[in-house]
Amino acid sequence: MSATTAPVVEVVGDGSTGRSRAAGRWRRARPWLVVLGVVLVGGLVLALPAPPSSTTPGAPDNAGASGARAVAQVLERQGVTVEHVTTTAAALAAATGDSTVLVVGDQWLTQEQTDALVALPDDLVLVDAGWALSTIAPDVVTAGTGNTREQREAACDDPDAVAAGTITAAGGYVDLGGRATTCFPTGPGLDGGAYLTLEQDGRRVTALSDLHPLTNDAVDADGNAALVLRMLGRHDHLVWYVPSIDDLGPVDAGDDTASLTDLVPWVRPVTGWLVLVLVVTVVWRARRLGPVVAEPLPVVVRSAETARGRGRLYRRARAHGHAAAALRAGTAARVAHRLGLPRSADAPALVDALARATGRRAGDVEALIYGPPPTDDAGLLRLADDLHHLESEVHRT
Amino acid sequence: MALTSRAVLVALAGIVPVALLPAPLTVLVWALVVVAVCAVDVALAASPRELAVSRRLPPSVRLSGTVDAVLTLRNVGRRTSRALVRDAWPPSTLPDGDAPTGARTPRHRVDVPAGEQRRVTTTLVPTRRGDAVADRVTVRTLGPLGVAGRQATLDVPGRLRVLPEFASRRHLPSRLARLRELDGRSAVQLRGAGTEFDSLREYVDGDDVRSIDWRATARRREVVVRTWRPERDRHVLLVVDTSRTSAARVLDGTRLEASVEAALLLGVLAAHAGDRVELLAYDRRVRARAADSHSSRVLPALAEALAGVQPALVETDWPGLVGQVRSRLSRRALVVLLTSLDPASVEQGLLDVVGGLTRRHQVVLASVADPELEELRTSRRTVDEVFDAAAAERTSLERDAVAVRLRQRGVEVVEASPDDLAPRLADTYLALKASGRL
Repeated sequence: MSATTAPVVEVVGDGSTGRSRAAGRWRRARPWLVVLGVVLVGGLVLALPAPPSSTTPGAPDNAGASGARAVAQVLERQGVTVEHVTTTAAALAAATGDSTVLVVGDQWLTQEQTDALVALPDDLVLVDAGWALSTIAPDVVTAGTGNTREQREAACDDPDAVAAGTITAAGGYVDLGGRATTCFPTGPGLDGGAYLTLEQDGRRVTALSDLHPLTNDAVDADGNAALVLRMLGRHDHLVWYVPSIDDLGPVDAGDDTASLTDLVPWVRPVTGWLVLVLVVTVVWRARRLGPVVAEPLPVVVRSAETARGRGRLYRRARAHGHAAAALRAGTAARVAHRLGLPRSADAPALVDALARATGRRAGDVEALIYGPPPTDDAGLLRLADDLHHLESEVHRT
Repeated sequence: MALTSRAVLVALAGIVPVALLPAPLTVLVWALVVVAVCAVDVALAASPRELAVSRRLPPSVRLSGTVDAVLTLRNVGRRTSRALVRDAWPPSTLPDGDAPTGARTPRHRVDVPAGEQRRVTTTLVPTRRGDAVADRVTVRTLGPLGVAGRQATLDVPGRLRVLPEFASRRHLPSRLARLRELDGRSAVQLRGAGTEFDSLREYVDGDDVRSIDWRATARRREVVVRTWRPERDRHVLLVVDTSRTSAARVLDGTRLEASVEAALLLGVLAAHAGDRVELLAYDRRVRARAADSHSSRVLPALAEALAGVQPALVETDWPGLVGQVRSRLSRRALVVLLTSLDPASVEQGLLDVVGGLTRRHQVVLASVADPELEELRTSRRTVDEVFDAAAAERTSLERDAVAVRLRQRGVEVVEASPDDLAPRLADTYLALKASGRL
């Protein structure tokens, strides 16, 4: 067994040339390059500037049915600078003190934000912002009537409302203090109106209970356009504020909170460098020293598995009778062999021989080996025990 | 191309300049430094394809023996090759092949100057019978900085035949002694099919009167009896069943392992007794066969034939097996079936055809008994265990019944635990020989 194989073959290289290896690498890399290309192109497409139209209701850059681009464009054509903002901080920064601040919707506004907006000296237009309005004028409450959208008459002496004549709107405000002018009543003879205007601290606060007259869809109906344009075009500069859910508040986050990167200037480049080190580590670990060697695994079924399976079947079926019969037959076969009885010996002969060998009564022995089968767990256990004793007694003799 | 841990250290060192001059340019410059260092190192590394690799390997090894697989690396290039070499072998041939973490092929760090050669040795301890085929050899050559290198995987063919362990050879000396005793006694009283006439001798009390040679007695003044001795040059056919029943595990090994051990011991013993030994491994087709009449060549021939035999998950084709046996044997022989006394398999296959064998030959069936079954049968503490015991009892009864039916058809049945099967089968052979029933 120490002899070596006769011809020793020397292997030089793996039969590849630099050209064939390069070709192989190119062939393997091609699908990945395709994937990389697709990802890059997809990323570029996604990174292109967002389309100039948004889907936010009431936004001046929304060309959809619920948007208000038509109004914004008409205002700009008339010489009004429209500044679209989405945060309170930006709205506060954009307000010049001599401009109109339009707030569209107030469901994302906090008390803090509302207070900051109210504190502005500029004219305020609140559209669909009843809660913000009640901050300015606590006497004004939302009317419980006129919840369906319908055509309404001005029915007041506000010049803007009179110029509009009729509008289509829903909802309304009720002024309990009597300071404000309320137009477009929610119904004949009712106090509430969709349009409310009041003078406060030298500036004008206007409220419209419904966004509908501003939308591209409805601005050309009735006197909607007249009312809205007069309402918003009072000054040369209009701050169009549409609150959003990710608005953090009246203060600009970047202004006075310094992050770690500002305190330690090298944290960012070092973190980036560590990512590069990680890439190098991956390249180092990824190249295996040769392929994995596979080997078929041997069969590992235990031989006694079938017997165990049968035992489990007995157990599940609660087959006390079958189990007892097997135990008895096994014991009978063994003691018969030990007592020298032929394989063909019948039951009485076996009982007789056993009774003599163990000194037990023949009736007991017969009941043990040929008696009725047990019907429960305890009976089976007892039988197994008794058979074991019987067998050991035969062994002793 | 391949990097080493040093490349990571070089990259890690870049943290210092990046931290001191935190600017994108620093990151870019140091990244280029890392790339350049790696590229230079790769360019200066010797080609792994300029190492001529040759393999030296013993042709075979006994199971659980140790063998050294030697690779000779000759540098045919002009640069010194700083190589990391891995000679890949299947996990079961590696020293820690059974470790729960899995085997790890040893790696060899070796420097081969131009024009010289070096050897690396991988120690193998095969734990499975059969042919262990060497996988590919991987060579990684590093550049002078040890930062990066080149790698190639070479196909260096190698095959190691792992022979059966033949652990049962420890039983051989005692059985050979018994055999010599048997030969020397040379006094078999009854003439049988496997006996030949030995000599005449004087009658002593206790001799069978049927063996008295009356003609010789008439010529002399005392009563003379004929003696016989076991005939030499009988034919022994060992049939190893490699079907699904041989795949079941009993204790540590499969049934087949125990069968192989028993076949080897009996084969060597019979060859020493002057019998012709032939081997057949069969399930639905012949998996291996060996025949050698010369006693000193029987063991290598059997071991070689049995080395590659593995259990196949098919049912034994018993009629086909009987046909094979018949075509191989022209005169009366001892046919040893190394199979399993599995009631289902025996009743549906062997029982129907065994008559065809026993009519002409002496048939011995050797089966591995499962000690676990006995353990299952005797532990009866809880109800669950009693149910298992009943199942084991039923299985034993069925096996016994099958054994009885086989004996009724003239088959000698040997059933023993894996370790005992080989000596028990050898004893049965000796007993048959002593009684002239071969």
